[in-house]
Amino acid sequence: MIQLKNITKDYTRGAEKVHALGGVDLSIDRGEFISIVGPSGSGKTTLLHILGCLDRPTGGTMTIDGQTVGDLPESALVRLRRKKIGFVFQQFHLIPGLSVFDNISLPLLFSRNGNGKGENRDRIMSLIGMVGLERRARHHPNQLSGGEMQRVAVARAMVNDPEIIFADEPTGNLDTANSEKIFRLLESLHTKGLSIVMVTHNPDLAGRAGRIVTLRDGRIVSPPAGRQYLEMGGGLPLDHDMKKADIERHLSS
Amino acid sequence: MAFIRLAFNNLLRHRLRSLLTLVGIAASVTVLFSILSFNRGFERGLADEIRRTGIHFMVVPAGCPHEVASLVLHGAVTPKFIDTAVVERIRGAADVDLVSPMLITQVPNVERDRLDMVYGLEMSHVPEIKAGWRVEGRIPGDGAGLLLGAEVAAHDGLAIGDRIRYGEREFTVSGIIGKTGSQDDAFVYMPVAALQEILKKRGGLTAAGVKVARPERLEEITAELSATVPGIQIVTMNEVMRSLATLANSAKVLSLSIAVIAILISAVGVMNSILMAIFERTREIGMMRAVGASRADIFRIILQETVLLTAAGGVCGILLSTLGAGVIEGFVREVMPYVPSGRMIHFDPMLAAGCVAFTLVVGMAAGGYPSWKASNINPIEAIKG
Repeated sequence: MIQLKNITKDYTRGAEKVHALGGVDLSIDRGEFISIVGPSGSGKTTLLHILGCLDRPTGGTMTIDGQTVGDLPESALVRLRRKKIGFVFQQFHLIPGLSVFDNISLPLLFSRNGNGKGENRDRIMSLIGMVGLERRARHHPNQLSGGEMQRVAVARAMVNDPEIIFADEPTGNLDTANSEKIFRLLESLHTKGLSIVMVTHNPDLAGRAGRIVTLRDGRIVSPPAGRQYLEMGGGLPLDHDMKKADIERHLSS
Repeated sequence: MAFIRLAFNNLLRHRLRSLLTLVGIAASVTVLFSILSFNRGFERGLADEIRRTGIHFMVVPAGCPHEVASLVLHGAVTPKFIDTAVVERIRGAADVDLVSPMLITQVPNVERDRLDMVYGLEMSHVPEIKAGWRVEGRIPGDGAGLLLGAEVAAHDGLAIGDRIRYGEREFTVSGIIGKTGSQDDAFVYMPVAALQEILKKRGGLTAAGVKVARPERLEEITAELSATVPGIQIVTMNEVMRSLATLANSAKVLSLSIAVIAILISAVGVMNSILMAIFERTREIGMMRAVGASRADIFRIILQETVLLTAAGGVCGILLSTLGAGVIEGFVREVMPYVPSGRMIHFDPMLAAGCVAFTLVVGMAAGGYPSWKASNINPIEAIKG
C-alpha cells in the first residue's frame, strides 16, 4: 500500500541543520498494524507526518497505491488525506465549542463527500456507537474525560471511511485503563481491515502491534536493536515480566 | 455542519472579544449611517424649504458675500442695508410679481435686559415666504402684533396675548410658530415698518425676496435689475441653495471623514481580533488541515468569521442609528451652521443596505490578511504547537 525508499528529511532549527530522517526504507501492506517506536527525537513523528502526506520528504520516493506522492501538488495531497487517511493525535485536538457529533462530522465538511444529510448522520451515529459514546453525542469536549475525548478523535478519523489510520501517541495523555480502551479500539478497526500505524512510547502497546518499526537517529534499526530498546522499557518505566513475552512474540514474528 | 456554523462557533468561543469588536463596528456604522441619512435629509429639506418660500431671488446690498446673503433668508444680521426706494423700483420692474422686504437685526429688550433677534417682514407675505410654518393663534396684520418663534416663547414663558415692549412701542403676541427645528425658532417676527420705526431707520432693509410672474424670464429680469438699480446684488435661489450647501459642506465633509476613519479603526480592530483568534487556534487549524481541510477551506472559515462579525456590527449600527435618530439629529443641528426645518434623519432602506455592504467590504478587506495567514499555517508546526 505504502512504499518508502531512502526517505530523508532535513530541516533547519535556527542555525542548526537537523537530519530528522536519514534514509528510511519501509513498506506498509494493506491491513497491517505497525507500531513505530524509538527514543524522543528519533524521527517517529516526522515519519508519521510524511506517511500521512502532511509533510514532504527532502529526498527519496514514497508511493501510495503505486502513485508517487512526491510529485503531487498540494491539492492532490489534500484529496489523498480526505479519501484514504485518518489522523489521531496525542492531544486529541477537538474543537471546544462543538459537540461530540459535530467534532466527528468535521472531516465530512472538508471532504464534501456528497452523501445526503441523513446518510452522514447515520454514519456519525454509528461511529459514536462504535466508540461507546451514544449518551455523549451532544456533549462538548469540556464535559468528557481524556479517554472519551480520544475515542471521539478516533471516530473523527474514521468518518471519511479511510484506508489507513495514523495515530501519533494516541495513549500518551491517558491512564492505563483508557490507554487499553483506545488500543482495543484501534485493534478492532484493524480487525475490520484497516491499516494502522501508531507511534508510541508505550512498549506494552507497541509489542501488541503486528509489526514494530524502531527508529533511532532518523534510521530504522534492525530488530535486535529494537528488541533491546523495548526490553529497556522504550524510555518508559516498564513491568518487564509482564511485557517481555509480548515483545518476544512480536519481535520474533 | 456547515462552514458558517463553524465560523459562528469560533466567534462564540470568545464572546467578550467578539462583542467588543462588534461594538466598535456598530458605533462606526451608527455614525456613518446617521451622517449619510442626515445629509440626504439636509439636501431634501433645503430644496423643500427653498421651494416653499415661493421666492425666485433675493436682493441684498451690493458687496454682501453670497453666503451671508443666502443666510439672510434664515435670519442673518448684516451691517449693510438697502433702501425701501430700491424695493419700490424693483416692484415697478416688468414681470415682478411680489417683493417682500426683510429687515433682520438685534433689538434691545429692556424688560429682560438682553438683545432679541428680530425679523421684520410684511406679515401678509408670511403664508408665501414661510409656507412651512404652523402658526398657533393668528398672523398679525401690519399693526402692533408679533409672532414668536417656538424657542423664544418657551424660553420666556410667553403666550398669545402677552405684551412685549421694544423701545417706545408695545406689541401683543398674536401667534406662536410651531417648532421648526431651525433658526426660525429663535426669532421674534414683527411688521417690517414697525421694526424700521424702532430702529429709526425708515426705509432701511436687510434684503428683499422677489417672486417673478414669468420664471422662464428669470435670467433676463435679474440682468435688467442689476443693470438699472444701483447698490444691489441679486442672489438667485439656486445660488442660495448652493451657498447654503457650501456652508454645510465643510461640516459634512468633516463628519463623513470622521465616520470613515472610525470604520477604518474598527476594521483594524477586526483584523486584530481575528489575528489573535488565529494565533490561539494554531493547533486547531493544523488539525483541520490534517483531517482534510485545504488552504482554501481555512481561508473561507476565517473570512466567514470576519464577515459574520462585520455584518452583525453593521446591522446593530443601523438599528442604533435608527433608534437614536433624534439624539443624533439634535447633536448635528448644534454643529451645523444652517439646518432646514423639519426632521432630517429618515430611515432609507437602500442607504442602510449600502452602509452594511460598505462595512462588509471593509470587513472583508480587514479579514483578508488574517485569512491568508491562517491558510498558510504549516500544519506540522501547528500540530507540534
